[in-house]
Amino acid sequence: MSTADDDAGAGPPAGVSRLVRDGVVASGPIGLAVLLGIVPIVVLFVESLGPGLGLGNYAEATRPLYRGVLSYSLRMGIAVTAVCLTVSYPVTYWLAHRCPARYRLPTLVALTLPLWLNYVVLNYAWVWVLARGGVLNELLVGVGAVAGPLDLLYTDLSVFVGFVYIYLPYVVLVMYVSMERLDYRLLEAARDLGATNTRVFLDVVLPRTLPGAAAATLIVYARIAGAYATPEILGGPGEVMIASLVTAAFREYINFGFGAALSFVFLSIVVAGLLLGAAFPRVREELARQ
Amino acid sequence: MSSVRPRRWLRRGAGRFPAVVVVATLMFLYVPVIVVAYLSLSPTGQPTIPLESLSLRWYGEVAADRRFVRALLTSFGIAAVAAPGGTVLGLAGAYAVTRSALSGRIKGVIATVIALPLFVPTVVLAFGIGLTGNYLDVGYGYGPVVLGHLFWVLPFTTFLLSARYAEIDEQLSAAAMDLGADTRTAFLTVTLPLLRPALAASLLFAFALSFNEFLITFFLAGSGVTTVPLEIFGKVRVGATAFLNAASVLVLLVSAAAAGVGSALREPA
Repeated sequence: MSTADDDAGAGPPAGVSRLVRDGVVASGPIGLAVLLGIVPIVVLFVESLGPGLGLGNYAEATRPLYRGVLSYSLRMGIAVTAVCLTVSYPVTYWLAHRCPARYRLPTLVALTLPLWLNYVVLNYAWVWVLARGGVLNELLVGVGAVAGPLDLLYTDLSVFVGFVYIYLPYVVLVMYVSMERLDYRLLEAARDLGATNTRVFLDVVLPRTLPGAAAATLIVYARIAGAYATPEILGGPGEVMIASLVTAAFREYINFGFGAALSFVFLSIVVAGLLLGAAFPRVREELARQ
Repeated sequence: MSSVRPRRWLRRGAGRFPAVVVVATLMFLYVPVIVVAYLSLSPTGQPTIPLESLSLRWYGEVAADRRFVRALLTSFGIAAVAAPGGTVLGLAGAYAVTRSALSGRIKGVIATVIALPLFVPTVVLAFGIGLTGNYLDVGYGYGPVVLGHLFWVLPFTTFLLSARYAEIDEQLSAAAMDLGADTRTAFLTVTLPLLRPALAASLLFAFALSFNEFLITFFLAGSGVTTVPLEIFGKVRVGATAFLNAASVLVLLVSAAAAGVGSALREPA
């Protein structure tokens, strides 16, 4: 069987020629991934140590001001992910175990379609919902819930809502994969044995979907912490997020070394998180599934 | 007995809770989009809620706006290269990580390197790529942007196609070769037709990804290249208008159409 794919005889031994051919085929995607993935990270690292191989940029990037930015970004990432997971649990549970079969695929598509829509536009849509003259304020004032329009837009809250909006479909997708593999008979068995909804969730659903939730968290929180468009479109003049600093270092201040050190501090935290996750075999499995 | 009733009601309430959350989630996801679509029909440049009358005026303005039309053509042009290019590279990547003669360890390394953009924060990658371009003195413009988009779509096309590759029975191409086909013929006449729906889906998803890509383009475009997301981002920061709403609706329709057809193709009937 193993010889089945080989060239029919001619030339060097079939195994070697096949290896060479496969190496050539693989070189295209690998070349691209190395050129735009690995090389830039190396360049970034070298730049962060320059000029003259020192840690000056790192000293600058870890000043309290920028530590605050990093911490705000990471806390935002974790808080948004927590909300997304909280919503995703009942949603994917219903979808995987309660939803009538013929509605399952259309509902899943509807929940995940926003992943494929333009996130600049999706963020912008919230301007019209949250602005002083926007839909929500008109509604609240209209029914008399508030006396005058609230300042919702360009606040931490609007950034938070925008992030949940953009990343919820992603978390739903990851959690659905996990929830679908959960054997419904286990839930029924637990119920037959008298378990309450709370106990079924805590003893059966949660332990079996936790690796998926951990994998989703590891991927999504870092994307949120490093996001640029959402805080730029929905954020106020107050809190700055890490991507805005990096972008400014590149485009405006032309302070590459500082931006590179900042990027590397951020990247180290993300990689540390991923390695920590990968230390758990079941989380590693889920990460590989992404 | 009387205490049973509220408890049963509670249990049934808890039973319905997930379905209620699903409905609320769908509303949360689609109401803002519907709001923008509604406000794109404003007769005036600054819509007021509720609209006094409905008009398609701003769609006409968008179609007549040279900057927007040029951005749209730029985005289509880049996606028209990135989608097929990324799909071919993804096919090579999918072959490399599933069927190739390379060792399992090497396959794992290849998959990890290709998956890099999924794990490394995009802003870090975009900055690194921009910096590398600076050092190599390739400057900004179409070349770097297209390369950046190919890199961005590669993990998606690779893993979409490798999933399909893994489903195809290896014996089929083995049988073709037992019957005298060479590797090339077996690939073209057996494997490729079986991959066709996945390849079409990959093309469409890669198109949507490239069409929507913002951050890498933002770092690599320079002043000469303006894609639709860049154009809209620039306008959003100036202010929300009916013009922008109409442009937004058009962008959403393009990406939804690509992704919608793509997912229909991926799920074989």
